[in-house]
Amino acid sequence: MSLRTDTPGVTPPFRRLLVANRGEIAIRVIRACRELGISPIAVHSEVDADALHVRAADRSELIGPAAARDSYLSIDAILDAGRRSGAEAIHPGYGFLSENATFAAAVEAAGFVFVGPPASALEALGNKLAARRAADGGGVPIVPGTTVALGDDTSAVAGIGYPVMLKAAAGGGGRGMRRVDREADLSDAMAAARREAEAAFGDGTIYVERMVTPARHVEVQLLGDRHGGLAVLGERDCSIQRRHQKLVEESPSPALDEATRSALFESARRVARTVDFHNAATVEFLVDDRLDHFFLEMNTRLQVEHGVTELVTGLDLVGWQIRVAAGEALPPAVLEAPRHGHAIEVRIYAEDPYDGFRPTAGRIGAWQMPEGPGVRIDAGVAADMELRTEYDPLLVKLMVHADNRPAAVARLRRVLDETRIGGLQTDAGFLRWLLEDPAFVAGDYDTGFIATRWRNGPPLGGEERQLAATLAAAAREAEAVPTRRPAPAATSAWAREARRDALRR
Amino acid sequence: MSDHEIRVDGEPTEAADVVVEWEDRDHGLARLVVDGRAVPAIVEGAGSEWFVTLRGRRIPVTVRTWRERVLAEAETAARVHGGPTVVKATLPGLVVAVAVAEGEEVEEGSPLLTIEAMKMQNEVRAPRAGRVVAVEVAAGQAVATGAALLRLE
Repeated sequence: MSLRTDTPGVTPPFRRLLVANRGEIAIRVIRACRELGISPIAVHSEVDADALHVRAADRSELIGPAAARDSYLSIDAILDAGRRSGAEAIHPGYGFLSENATFAAAVEAAGFVFVGPPASALEALGNKLAARRAADGGGVPIVPGTTVALGDDTSAVAGIGYPVMLKAAAGGGGRGMRRVDREADLSDAMAAARREAEAAFGDGTIYVERMVTPARHVEVQLLGDRHGGLAVLGERDCSIQRRHQKLVEESPSPALDEATRSALFESARRVARTVDFHNAATVEFLVDDRLDHFFLEMNTRLQVEHGVTELVTGLDLVGWQIRVAAGEALPPAVLEAPRHGHAIEVRIYAEDPYDGFRPTAGRIGAWQMPEGPGVRIDAGVAADMELRTEYDPLLVKLMVHADNRPAAVARLRRVLDETRIGGLQTDAGFLRWLLEDPAFVAGDYDTGFIATRWRNGPPLGGEERQLAATLAAAAREAEAVPTRRPAPAATSAWAREARRDALRR
Repeated sequence: MSDHEIRVDGEPTEAADVVVEWEDRDHGLARLVVDGRAVPAIVEGAGSEWFVTLRGRRIPVTVRTWRERVLAEAETAARVHGGPTVVKATLPGLVVAVAVAEGEEVEEGSPLLTIEAMKMQNEVRAPRAGRVVAVEVAAGQAVATGAALLRLE
């Protein structure tokens, strides 16, 4: 056999790379490997043997049972898989072990290259309280609040002024966060936040911040090499959130002026300088209605929404993560990458937006994805697949790119109309509504948007009801006619239309 | 079609004079032509129970014959007059806590148990007031969609 498997003109930075993740992000990393001529190795739990990311890789290693703590979160199982497959490097994706300093150190100690910032940076910035102190010390504005753990003495809280936000020092993904509006609710909220933090992260340490409201959530993408090169690749506005988790991200942020943007970029650089930094990371800020910004946290990994930045910069962030991990220096084309146009991402989750974004489950039926100019789809599932409730309910990220924001919004509307996902309720209903909402269309929104403008969505309209009734009745009628025969229903529908046409004439 | 009773999300609704065009019957892909504009849709189900997805919103629709309607009404009447109610899991997951014990009286809407799915805790509440006559699951147990969780009388 002489099938060529290398990529002409590319010297692969590694021969084999283990992707220690699943779903759409594992597929994203596998694609970067392919383009760099690297052989991608997947990992899978017992229930993921047929998952899409397994099929996308050259081979896949079984790492344990369905429960993430025994498979995708098991450092030993991942390292064993790395050794068995002969991988030289390990990419953690996002979530799971991606920000785990112990994992990063263990990967390097076992002789693999960790595709991410150094373990010391993960250690220093992983604890949100420590990160707040570091940013403060680096001259970056932080949200007013405590820089030490909140104990039984709560006198500091009164000084900050209500409403306040309780947060877990070990937090992430919106867990262990509690808004408190008055002193009477404080002790109950503290107990609840501690419990949640203890359960989610094994660390009940909490601290308190002033509630910045209204606020936009704006983050800055960083990419650094091992030689001191640091690229600031623009910002993303991620203010459309439910449960403090993002649903929509866009770049550039419609809220920023050039002065605020530069100030944000400078603050992001300063945070990165507080640690030994290379690879990809994101610095998150809150921006208030006076355009003052406050450091929130630094995510020392690839973000879910990295594709938005890839669309406006034209760079392959994941490819560059792998190349800088191998020691390559960032060229001027990356360090001073210009940004073009406007990009928006929407995340389609198995969630019911008409019922508090409650998770839904089941089997995906129809799966029709959009195509055409300016569209990118990063999906982790396909038609007729059973959803695993053990893992993240993200189904697909739809991204669009256009010359400017109005064109990007129009393109996204078209893209959502082309997208059809059957079998379960997704948040697509909310997203389609969002693109007609005058405040969103005007770029005028903040982190309270879903709670104040959407709540549980508008009631069903009269026309919607009628159309639903019509289609269901037609489906029941058509049921009597077998589907596999030469499409009698289609013929009859087209024939009916033709008859109508004839009558109109 | 006139012999069918149609309810959209529980409310009686008349079908409209709109053209339905099938694209893929197996996956329920269709389009409705409204005032000359095509509205893409999905329809899934069988018999009297359907879901229609329009602009990302999945809408429950029942299309019943006269006979199905009479049967369904008789069933509802039996439930209202105090037969046992089986509380079932609406999504697969792990039972993490059971808040009630056998013999306990519960109000409509009071929490019965907690199921963890997709990294979230989902509270299952009593669909009506009554007495818990049987608890079928325990904390730590995995349940599938439709599994009986407990019985109310």
